[in-house]
Amino acid sequence: MEGVLYIRSMANQIQQDQLTRAARRAVLIDGIPVSTLGVIALALGSNPDQSTAQKAWWIATTIVFTLAIAWVLLRAFRRADEYLRRIQLESMAVAFAAVLVALQVATLLDAAGVVRLQQLAQVILLGGVATWLLIADLRTRLNR
Amino acid sequence: MKNRLRELRAARRWSQADLADRCEVSRQAINAIETERYDPSLPLAFTIADVFGLTIEEIFQPDRPEATDNPL
Repeated sequence: MEGVLYIRSMANQIQQDQLTRAARRAVLIDGIPVSTLGVIALALGSNPDQSTAQKAWWIATTIVFTLAIAWVLLRAFRRADEYLRRIQLESMAVAFAAVLVALQVATLLDAAGVVRLQQLAQVILLGGVATWLLIADLRTRLNR
Repeated sequence: MKNRLRELRAARRWSQADLADRCEVSRQAINAIETERYDPSLPLAFTIADVFGLTIEEIFQPDRPEATDNPL
């Protein structure tokens, strides 16, 4: 009887771990296409002398990329329970702070004529998404 | 905040996953509460208390020195 209980409890634990892995996989499944879209938007915006059509494509891709980020955040939030939601929020706060600082530095460098803000903006946003995913993933992985 | 979650769970021979299932939260949440890295919200504390058939006060205690008669 005790053995059966133990096996059932172990099976339940494995099932829960699979649920956690599935949730983490779901974030990656959402995040990877969005990041790819970000890279495409970045590539489209990298040319400083764009035609009107190129500019329109770049703006459209960037808008879709921004909306997609919001959609990924919303889905990750809805999927999580209150503890995981807190982890997500804290990771987002760190990523947000990193994006703010990076944008500020990029703006200064742009003003000094060292780099072009237009080229860096999407890299910074992508870096923010990557920071958020990395911190949230590490925290759920390490605090088991 | 201190809690008796591990002790109560062990008495019922439930795994963290069992308790997580009953409370409809992740196993990480139960683990974080047990190790006192996370204080649950009031609704979750009520759910946990319901699952164990106890009151919140019987499970969770404030993490502060014993109160004395003299508040000063």
